[in-house]
Amino acid sequence: MAQSRAHRKMSLGPGFWPVTIALTIVNVAISYVIAVFPFEQLVPIVGAPADQIDTLFRFMSVIGNAIFVYVLGYLVYFAIVWRWRPSDGPDAIGVQVHDVPKLEFWWTVVPSIIVAIIAIFSVRIWAGMQNTPGDVLTMEAIGHQFKFEFRYPKMKNSVYDSMHVPVDTPVTLNVTSADVLHSFWSPSLRIKADMVPGLVQTLRFTPEHIGKYAIICTEFCGTQHANMAAALYVDSQQAFGAWLSAQARQQGQASAPVALGSGQAAAGQALFGQKCSTCHSIGPFNQKIVGPGLGHLFNDPAHPALVTGEKASPAAISHILISGYQGPIGVMPNRQANALSNQDIANLVAYLTSLSQKKQR
Amino acid sequence: MAVAAHAGFIGGDTHDHIHPEPQGFIRKYVFSLDAKVIGIQYMVAAFLFFLISGLLAEVVRTQLLVPRGAILSNDTYNGVYSLHGSSMVWMVIIPLMTGAFGNFVMPLQIGARDVAFPWLNLLSFWLFPVSAVILFSSFLIGAPDAGWTEYPPISVQGPAGTSLWCIAIFLIGISSTMTGLNFMVTIVKMRAPGMTFTRMPLFVWASLATALLNMVATAALSAATAALFMERQFNVPFYDPTRGGSPLLWQHMFWFYSHPAVYIMILPGFGIVSEVFPTFARKPIFGYKMIAFSSIAIALLGFMVWAHHMFTSGMAPWLALPFMILTMVIAVPTGIKIFSWLATLWGGKIHFHPAMLFSLGFIATFTFGGITGVFLSSVPFDYDAHGTYFIVAHIHYVLFGGSVFALYSGLYYWWPKITGRMMSNTLGVWHFWLTFLAFNVTFLPMHLLGLWGMPRRVAQYQLHPEFQFWNDVASVGSYVLALSTLILIYNMVQSLLRGRRAPGNPWNARTLEWMTTSPPPYYNFRTIPAVLKNPYNFGEPLPYIGLDEAESAGSTHPPAGSSPLPAHA
Ligand code: HEC
Ligand SMILES: [Cu+2]
Repeated sequence: MAQSRAHRKMSLGPGFWPVTIALTIVNVAISYVIAVFPFEQLVPIVGAPADQIDTLFRFMSVIGNAIFVYVLGYLVYFAIVWRWRPSDGPDAIGVQVHDVPKLEFWWTVVPSIIVAIIAIFSVRIWAGMQNTPGDVLTMEAIGHQFKFEFRYPKMKNSVYDSMHVPVDTPVTLNVTSADVLHSFWSPSLRIKADMVPGLVQTLRFTPEHIGKYAIICTEFCGTQHANMAAALYVDSQQAFGAWLSAQARQQGQASAPVALGSGQAAAGQALFGQKCSTCHSIGPFNQKIVGPGLGHLFNDPAHPALVTGEKASPAAISHILISGYQGPIGVMPNRQANALSNQDIANLVAYLTSLSQKKQR
Repeated sequence: MAVAAHAGFIGGDTHDHIHPEPQGFIRKYVFSLDAKVIGIQYMVAAFLFFLISGLLAEVVRTQLLVPRGAILSNDTYNGVYSLHGSSMVWMVIIPLMTGAFGNFVMPLQIGARDVAFPWLNLLSFWLFPVSAVILFSSFLIGAPDAGWTEYPPISVQGPAGTSLWCIAIFLIGISSTMTGLNFMVTIVKMRAPGMTFTRMPLFVWASLATALLNMVATAALSAATAALFMERQFNVPFYDPTRGGSPLLWQHMFWFYSHPAVYIMILPGFGIVSEVFPTFARKPIFGYKMIAFSSIAIALLGFMVWAHHMFTSGMAPWLALPFMILTMVIAVPTGIKIFSWLATLWGGKIHFHPAMLFSLGFIATFTFGGITGVFLSSVPFDYDAHGTYFIVAHIHYVLFGGSVFALYSGLYYWWPKITGRMMSNTLGVWHFWLTFLAFNVTFLPMHLLGLWGMPRRVAQYQLHPEFQFWNDVASVGSYVLALSTLILIYNMVQSLLRGRRAPGNPWNARTLEWMTTSPPPYYNFRTIPAVLKNPYNFGEPLPYIGLDEAESAGSTHPPAGSSPLPAHA
């Protein structure tokens, strides 16, 4: 059936070679732009392996762009040059070629080679990501609805919402989840791993640039999925050391769990006036100053759950006071920022609880 | 060549006598056994769901106009995007590709009077609107909120409507399996005498590959949704890790179906483009065999790549590599198709009919989506792009720029055959350009947003107000897309009301469906023709003998004095 009639020497049609050259020039120009384009200004990079993944992306973009420009270019060019013209008459037909086996051979082989090159390049970068030399800092990240928890070796308590790592130190990060699926992604790391309950996955990277970067949850995890985020701080070695010891000091003081039962509502009321009333009223939720009104935490039909999505309970409130919370309304400072002792927290919770109870009666 | 030899080759399976057409509205239009009527039923229902899901998409884009979310609470928004995705995949694109065009066109193209199992076909169809109604009614009791992929454990805890989602997807899965079986038997056993495999139109080849996928892969989806339903309703811990289940089990089962499903959604589209190109370029399709076999190759490889959706999910890390390599291999047969289509244009006499424009547009946008697909198959890059708007952009380039463009192309191509009326070319050209531009304005910026740091499935992006500009651009694009759809609707309505009557073969095409009246009679062909050759040899006499003269009148010659192909740019 392959009665190829293409063997008689045919011209490739008007303008074929000039168009091919023009497309090639366009490709070279675009490849150059891709090669020098400063991706790392749009999304700054933390260090390895982000730099290699950018190189891979650049490489694939150059190839992908070349293929796309040729396909689109010939598509438009053929459509214009080989269009039907009224002078052709209604019955005009095109050149009756069925096959050009040589051409088909090459457009099977060349893409196979290109794909093989991309595959080899990808495998090499992947292999490099499987081991971090030196294994200096091993830590954990745990996903919760809707916040990130970080655990450091030799540190008793977890840190929430911000992750500190020292510069130039390989990091091995084990990620998992306490409830549903989440995903740990930092665009600046260029890598992510799903946080799966009952399963630990490992991410390895070496931070090289001091700064603050985003950590984002990329696996749907519920109502507040869109706002589940944390900050990644790459600190200098000294700053990291200082942060660690500050953390240890605070925790030494705070490591005893808050004894909520010991709270005194009256003491809490006094403290509220000093530390909280700049941002909070004791009216209903909608009576906002900077933060929401706190008078009806337990019994406001317009606001059935806390801003964290948890049901109002003394424990959940004390958690907000300890860790702080960043939500749509703004930033609720954590205990360090508000300088709250365990007793302060117990008192404040007792006071806030009593407010709701008064309204109920 | 002698006809008798070929008749012997095929065997005596062709259904050679004409049944009387059933009378009465119900038997004729509601519970019809005629594949053409069933095809139209699919088309009407799926187009309706297309409009509904399109509206949901506009709601999504409106919500994302401002960083805090413009109109909906997070929970409502999550339900909206989940239903948009689920319905576009299962209630729109798959039913249109196989149910609508497969049923209407494929039996005609092989010279059959109907599909092999008309009653099964009837059942397949009726499961479809039933499951769609179940799916949409989940809005009433709390729509599923975890996206069209419904990953557990969150989907186990999700709103009550998630159980309805399970039922709906289970039922539509059964319907797909049955259609796959039906088409497989039809294509293998019911071709006209002389129609060897290499004389089949390319849409039939594509339908054959799709039927294989539908038949084999869909079972995994049905099993997975049944298990999710049981976990939700009866607390059987298939997916709960604290009780010995595995969340990854769902992902494997889901993608074992849903990766082949992307080929279920695109292969028939390849078939449509392969029909439209020869007709409007007045040339044989270039590399017929390569296009036909590459469909089968894609279908077979399509079973072996599902875990490329799971590089970050937590399978053994090295397992990603074989899946990456196999995925990249699929790019080769896909590339062969694209190059063959380009070569089909070369040396043609190209008519810019709207069907042709959409096929040309398909090449541009689908190639782009295919290339970003290869990017994503590269494991290290996927570690970055997975779960972001880059994926959202990719999926829309292949499913909208690919599947939907091909469907539009097929709609303009076969509309006269289906309805017996012509559409307005001018409106069609407007529809194309507006859709093409608005499509790119909507989805191109999403690549950037994704790599910049915007995850998919977010109701708000208030932590990153810098994303607003490109989100707004995308939203404006989506409004223009909606507008362009109105042009199509207007065109269809005016064609039905006062369109010119369509001749049997308005485009002077050469495949069998054009060798009968428009619309075709109940029995398709009064006499089943014998097929002598591959259909695409323009300039040669038509390769059919034994066609009924009156029925096929006008097939061989265009109406005197005018070009049969009215639109010229
Ligand atoms: C700098 C302003 C500021 C200060 C000072 C502040 N808060 Fe807040 N607080 C907020 C903001 C803003 C929110 C809301 C966060 C969001 O959801 O976006 C909040 C939320 C809360 C909530 C959760 C409310 C709910 O309905 O879920 C509680 C409880 C709370 N704060 C208690 C306190 C207490 C007790 C103090 C004093 C120790 C305090 N806050 C000091 C700004 C502040
Ligand atoms: Cu896939």
